[in-house]
Amino acid sequence: MGAALADGADLAGTEDVTLPEHARRNREEWTAWAPEYAGRAPRAWAREELTWGVWGVPERELRVLPERLEGLDVVELGCGTAYVSAWLARRGARPVGVDVTPAQLETARRMQAEFGLRFPLVEASAEAVPLPNASFDLAVSEYGASIWADPDAWVSEAARLLRPGGELAFLVNGTLAILCAPDEEAPPGTELLRPYFGLHRLEWPGDRSVEFHLGYGDWIRLLRRCGLEVVDLVEVRAPASGEPHPYPALPERWWARRWPSEQIWKARKPGP
Amino acid sequence: MSDGLSEHAARNRAFWDRAADAYQAEHGEHIGRPEPRWGMWQLPEAELQVLGVVDGRDVLELGCGAAQWSILLAGRGARVVGLDNSARQLEHARAAMAAAGVDFPLVHASAESVPLVDSSFDVVFADHGANRFSDPYLWVPEAARLLRPGGLLAFSGGTPIETVCWSPAEDRLTSTLQRDYFGLHRIEEDDGTVLFELPYGEWIRLFRANGLVVEDLLEVRPPEGASSTYRSEEETAWARRWPMEQIWRARKT
Repeated sequence: MGAALADGADLAGTEDVTLPEHARRNREEWTAWAPEYAGRAPRAWAREELTWGVWGVPERELRVLPERLEGLDVVELGCGTAYVSAWLARRGARPVGVDVTPAQLETARRMQAEFGLRFPLVEASAEAVPLPNASFDLAVSEYGASIWADPDAWVSEAARLLRPGGELAFLVNGTLAILCAPDEEAPPGTELLRPYFGLHRLEWPGDRSVEFHLGYGDWIRLLRRCGLEVVDLVEVRAPASGEPHPYPALPERWWARRWPSEQIWKARKPGP
Repeated sequence: MSDGLSEHAARNRAFWDRAADAYQAEHGEHIGRPEPRWGMWQLPEAELQVLGVVDGRDVLELGCGAAQWSILLAGRGARVVGLDNSARQLEHARAAMAAAGVDFPLVHASAESVPLVDSSFDVVFADHGANRFSDPYLWVPEAARLLRPGGLLAFSGGTPIETVCWSPAEDRLTSTLQRDYFGLHRIEEDDGTVLFELPYGEWIRLFRANGLVVEDLLEVRPPEGASSTYRSEEETAWARRWPMEQIWRARKT
């Protein structure tokens, strides 16, 4: 890590000109969505417990992350308002949040000041991260680069950033949820609306964002191509009761009790 | 329990002893071609490259049926053992071996409890074989036990997606989610057999718990115009959109 990062200072993005079209479009959309997420950020930052996904399933149930977080160098790819990094920092990890959208990082900075919790934030696409090779023990992404960056590019970046023995954990939408997702902004029903073969880049008529979703075999091959060992696939089941989530296009609880609305891939870079 | 078989293994054995003749009459030609091929649409191993080189390797086929695969691999220099839970299927295997002029051991046993020694195979594989009719939580540990370090486990079967989209009420494949995905494991069929399928994550955890590293998950897409004695045209059309057949590859560390 450079001295600038060690001081907790931020790195400004320099990749503007070279950002691919989908990254530029996602930055525009996330700039527009940022106020809504800024509204949710204080509650997400205040959460005592590490939780995953829209159902808030606690880490102690899913056991995705290494047991000891203290002292681990962590990079969060597509950190948004950086609430995951905040959890990790509170547990003694040294997170660096990476996001391509300045407006989201603005919220993250405001939360840092409000909660008195500092860690470096880097404005960059997860497809080209201006950080050195083999400098992290853990790479995480929760509804971040894992969905809005091109998997071929961001997974190979994550693998590059990890030290030998380092782990990658990322949450994406459940594959069945994507297959059943209607074009309009509404939760999935039970009908398979799009083919599985060829899953990759996905656009929705309602906005200009570009998502990426892969089939199971494609994820496995990509992880292995990037030199990572597939460790786990945690398929998240919604708890039987609780608050509804606020996302109109994501599966409702009845659906997410029967089929996985979210899945967390876990991989490891071989080494000690 | 009979012969130390689990209840479902006994039921599946009874079914296959009853059904073997009709099965080989219906599918024998489709799956009996002169080069190794996988699954319902008989995609060539030469294309999929699942097993790799078998010459000089110790190879165990779990659920060999009439030993179509094992006979071809023996012809390629593999030291093959064919295992099947049905005595009647093994009679078909013996006849086919005699016709092909090859000989190798056949074992009459369930893949859940294999009477062979630890670390004695370089490849353990199944093509819609014992993996479909045995409990994965029993047969995968057995396969891992039988493999040498560095050995390959490869097997083709159905998919969780197809299983979830099958309507038990209408007894047909649909393009809607019917069965629950969570808890997917044992499936009772109308013909008295018991099939097994697991969620993707369960497979991965089961491999890892048995010292197997996940190498690949090939999701088979039948080529346009592909035909199968196992599937209707409508089902093949379904399989061109969503995976109906998959091949796992895992390696023992």
